[in-house]
Amino acid sequence: MTSATPVSINDYLQALREALRAADPALVQDAIYDAEQHLRAEIAAKPNSAEHDVLAEIVKSYGAPEEVAAAYLETESRVQAAMATPASNRRPRPTPDQGTSKIGIWRRFFGVYGDVRSYTMLFYCLLSLFTGVFYFSFVAIGLSLSIGLAILIIGLPFFVLFIGAARLLALVEGRLVEAMTGERMPRRPTTLPPDLSLLQRIGRMLKEIRTWTTLAYEALMLPLGIAYFVIVIVGLSLGPGLIAAAIFEGLAAVGVTWPGRPGIHLASESAWMGEWIRHPLGLLLLASGGIVVTTFTLHVVRGLGRLHGAFAKRMLVAL
Amino acid sequence: MNDSHAKKFQKDLNAGLVALVLLAVLAATDEDAYGYDIAKRLQPPDGSEPLFKEGTIYPVLRSLSASGWLSSRIVPSYSGPPRRYYRITPEGRAVLADWLAAWAHTRDFVEHFTRAATQQRPSEGSTI
Repeated sequence: MTSATPVSINDYLQALREALRAADPALVQDAIYDAEQHLRAEIAAKPNSAEHDVLAEIVKSYGAPEEVAAAYLETESRVQAAMATPASNRRPRPTPDQGTSKIGIWRRFFGVYGDVRSYTMLFYCLLSLFTGVFYFSFVAIGLSLSIGLAILIIGLPFFVLFIGAARLLALVEGRLVEAMTGERMPRRPTTLPPDLSLLQRIGRMLKEIRTWTTLAYEALMLPLGIAYFVIVIVGLSLGPGLIAAAIFEGLAAVGVTWPGRPGIHLASESAWMGEWIRHPLGLLLLASGGIVVTTFTLHVVRGLGRLHGAFAKRMLVAL
Repeated sequence: MNDSHAKKFQKDLNAGLVALVLLAVLAATDEDAYGYDIAKRLQPPDGSEPLFKEGTIYPVLRSLSASGWLSSRIVPSYSGPPRRYYRITPEGRAVLADWLAAWAHTRDFVEHFTRAATQQRPSEGSTI
């Protein structure tokens, strides 16, 4: 059941990673962080003992990798169950016949208004234009300065600093993505062993595929952010706009006037709409079109949330 | 066989106790404490085996923090990754008060029924 006692911190972390291989990568990153921080503190507290002696003690006090892995998996599942309760309550409870009946379809379609994820993702989509611009500029400036400064003595430290900052940004973005999409993301950063020289650090950073996927993610956030922003703005101007047009047109048709602005004649100003719009059926069509567009936009945005969560996890979390 | 039963029983017992002990330890101190520091405070005074492994407190600390019962801040460290310092929040203290009452009740209840068994055990053991 228990494997050979690890003789170094890296061994221990590797064994822990191995024991958690089926778990969510974000959970693995947190567990590795906790263990590394604890083990390094333990080693630092006993400067006169050899690393493998201290590790033998640690396995006794901190727990064998398998035990620690089990504790994380258990706590995680308990916490997730606790956090999932309100979300599942909010969803319409599907009964066997509802999924196919007409009511079920309607409920599924309009249920999006009751899902908190729709609104958090709306916010994320709007925000992603700004974060996207920022991440992209950060990566573009950082990379070009790194290359430009590479021939100078400050080139190397600058590069290390840049990659470190990019990872920190990735962690912050991860927290944002988790809050908005519900996708579990790391709560603790990954770290490099403190005893590496500058050149070894750079070598590690260059070799880790995650460094490059993180930079790629941050650069890709510009086009993605623009696309998300446009989808939300177009959908949410068009849908509610159509509904508002129908309401105002209807009010104007029955003779309601506003002080200072007698009637709003939206349709009469655009020739393509013609006179049919004044017909009650035309107004109804306009309003239902607006409702469909608005609801559909929310569905798209919520779907984007799932896709983006999966994408962020692939790019930002250690594998 | 017997040993693994005992271990499993201990694990089941620990499920809620780790959180209770962590809240109690943090409530007893005025300073912020980080994971390693808290783990070291959990050493029993008589040098016996602690009830649970130090590695198991971290996920519990995180879940207590996610519930809003602990607040935390990050401080850079020389010996490794930055440390996360925890402090108990007023909600955490309220929860702890409830839990302590539940624990006292549980302890008395269990004690009441197990006392007899504990006193009988030596004679019972000799018959087997």
